[in-house]
Amino acid sequence: MPLLELKHLQKSFATQKAVNDISLQIEEGQIFGLLGPNGAGKTTLIRMITGIFYPDSGEIFLDGKKFDPVNDIGKIGYMPEERGLYKKMKIGEQALYLAQLKGLKKMDATRKIKTWFERLDMESWWNKKVEDLSKGMSQKLQFVTTILHEPRLIILDEPFSGLDPVNANLIKDEIYNLAQKGSTVIFSTHRMEQVEEICDHIALVNKGQKILDGTVKQVRHDFKEHLYRVEFENELMAEHLAIHLFEVVKKGNQEVTIKLDPGYTNNDVLQYFIHKDLKISAFNEILPSLNDIFIKLVEGTPTARQFTS
Amino acid sequence: MNKTFLIIQREYLTRVRKRSFIISTLLLPILYLGLIFGTSYIAEKSSTSLNIAIVDSSGYFDRGAIERENQRDSSSRLTYVEMHPDSLKNNFSQLGYDGFLVIPADINWETGEPGGLPIYTSRTFGFEGVAPIKSKLNNIWSAVKNEKLGIDDNKRKILQTSQINLSPRDTNESVSNSGIATTIGYISGFLMYMMILIYGSQVMLGVMEEKTNRIAEVIVSSVKPFQLMLGKIVGIAMVALTQFILWILFMFVIYNVTKSTSAGSDSISSIIGGVQDVFTSVNVPLILFCFIFYMLGGFFFYSSLYAAIGSSVNEGVQEVQSLSFPVTMLVILSLAMMSAAMKDPTGPVAVWGSFIPFSSPIIMMARIPFGVPGTVPWWQLGLSMASLIAGFLFTTWFAAKIYRTGILMYGKKPSWKEMMKWAMRK
Repeated sequence: MPLLELKHLQKSFATQKAVNDISLQIEEGQIFGLLGPNGAGKTTLIRMITGIFYPDSGEIFLDGKKFDPVNDIGKIGYMPEERGLYKKMKIGEQALYLAQLKGLKKMDATRKIKTWFERLDMESWWNKKVEDLSKGMSQKLQFVTTILHEPRLIILDEPFSGLDPVNANLIKDEIYNLAQKGSTVIFSTHRMEQVEEICDHIALVNKGQKILDGTVKQVRHDFKEHLYRVEFENELMAEHLAIHLFEVVKKGNQEVTIKLDPGYTNNDVLQYFIHKDLKISAFNEILPSLNDIFIKLVEGTPTARQFTS
Repeated sequence: MNKTFLIIQREYLTRVRKRSFIISTLLLPILYLGLIFGTSYIAEKSSTSLNIAIVDSSGYFDRGAIERENQRDSSSRLTYVEMHPDSLKNNFSQLGYDGFLVIPADINWETGEPGGLPIYTSRTFGFEGVAPIKSKLNNIWSAVKNEKLGIDDNKRKILQTSQINLSPRDTNESVSNSGIATTIGYISGFLMYMMILIYGSQVMLGVMEEKTNRIAEVIVSSVKPFQLMLGKIVGIAMVALTQFILWILFMFVIYNVTKSTSAGSDSISSIIGGVQDVFTSVNVPLILFCFIFYMLGGFFFYSSLYAAIGSSVNEGVQEVQSLSFPVTMLVILSLAMMSAAMKDPTGPVAVWGSFIPFSSPIIMMARIPFGVPGTVPWWQLGLSMASLIAGFLFTTWFAAKIYRTGILMYGKKPSWKEMMKWAMRK
């Protein structure tokens, strides 16, 4: 049974449909990448999942039951893209306040904050004010406040923006850890290399609609263009490549990138090269990166829609 | 509900701990203390003043009369000397006088001519500085005139004391001191005006802070926007209430302490007496109760509008100013209406002003010291309170709708028309 299920969600603002009939299933323990260009409707979708917006139509099921914002809010941890904290408030008090708003008891919250602060090297921060923190530091604090109440569903909107590599890795490890322990993570971003690295499953949203959904591996396979890269030990002559099996995309001295013509397989190509007495040192299929797929799918559509109402 | 309480608690505690709150809370009692001790200090300071030598060429100002005046009032001193004015002019400082004056021989007892006698001093004194000298001279001069006219002590007393005074009485009221009522009315109205503007703008700035800091989105993923708005408004209302109650307590303590220690000083006890007049001539508990009611009611009415404005603004002080101007105008207009209402506390401006929720906190508060049910009948007070409650329920409901949309809306500055559209949406 999926932890989160969205059925035909719709949300319109005055001038346009921000989310137009999106359905999704997210399994428990998954790290799910929600991708899309700016203005695609990601934030609106997330705001409906977090109970900030009510959908115009469609249904949300959390853990098999209809989503009830008032009671289920404690099961969700949300870190918005635009980070915000009270500048003048002490860090410990701030974390405590946000945890209590999520329904934690004071004692419980204090204990958990201390544990997390130790874990992320933040113990000495308790009495500092947010305005004294660097951007990266306040990002870490925000992450802690998001996951403190041990939510079943963690929603992170661009969690690594503004973090240095060391801290980004620290947070990444924590995300893995949480997923391992059974939390489900929705990860919204337009940084594709991070998605490829972290996510099991992705959905691509554009202009309010889901245009793609599946595992990272599956998606890359679905969009493959039968491109292969072949490397040779001996020098490659032009006459070697004059054949109906493939088209040459790019030719080097000892390597070539080819696009297989329909109806032929890898083995046909390999046999052909062996026949020509060429020594093959490497033969790889080139799968498109998510970035390529993303650009291919989204290209040509107006990327940034203005949400005004 | 529990979460709203948490928000109230945070709003309250962070504000009450601020230095600016503590300073502004202490400032008023300090001003009050300053008024009491400052005036008495100045009164005593100015009494250690002039010693003036007096040369009489007319024969009216004899040594005995001058001494009698010196004994009656020790705040200044006249000394009868027999010297030539010219030599006195060069030496009066060395002789220990602050100045001297010459009564000319030809002074006329019927016309007082020549008037405007010059008084020569080493420093410049204004009219105020030489007033005690003038009054002493005139006392002696009066005695001279009385004698010339044949007015004895009895006749003099009649001339001095028999005067007609006016004392306003309201037909419905046993005691009505219009002077004190006017003062208290002005103070209450003005205090109300300040509380609404200061704390209303605190709500607006607080909401803006949450929006521009982008913490609003984090919070509204835990609580409803309405809870956040209500928590802020109630939290700040409690701060205002705390400040007001502390003021009343401070005043009460200062009043009692100064009363018990003021036996020696005339000027302090005269101020205490003034305060005592207030207690006896107006219904203090009723005024306090009404003040708190109208302060909270007016605050809720305006602060929810301010919250809606704060939520609609993206950034920048100019945007806030242009959006909040109409609301601030209403507060200022109420204050302007107050002056008209004070002149005629039962006139149409006063009565209507105290029914309309946007002006009733200020106008009604200015009228109440004139007396309930004398100037303000009970039914008017009841209607005014009911309409204020209805008013703030409406503005809170209305503001919550704008707030809900505005708090998460970034980008271009919304117009009033757009904000209305947000409010109308379900």
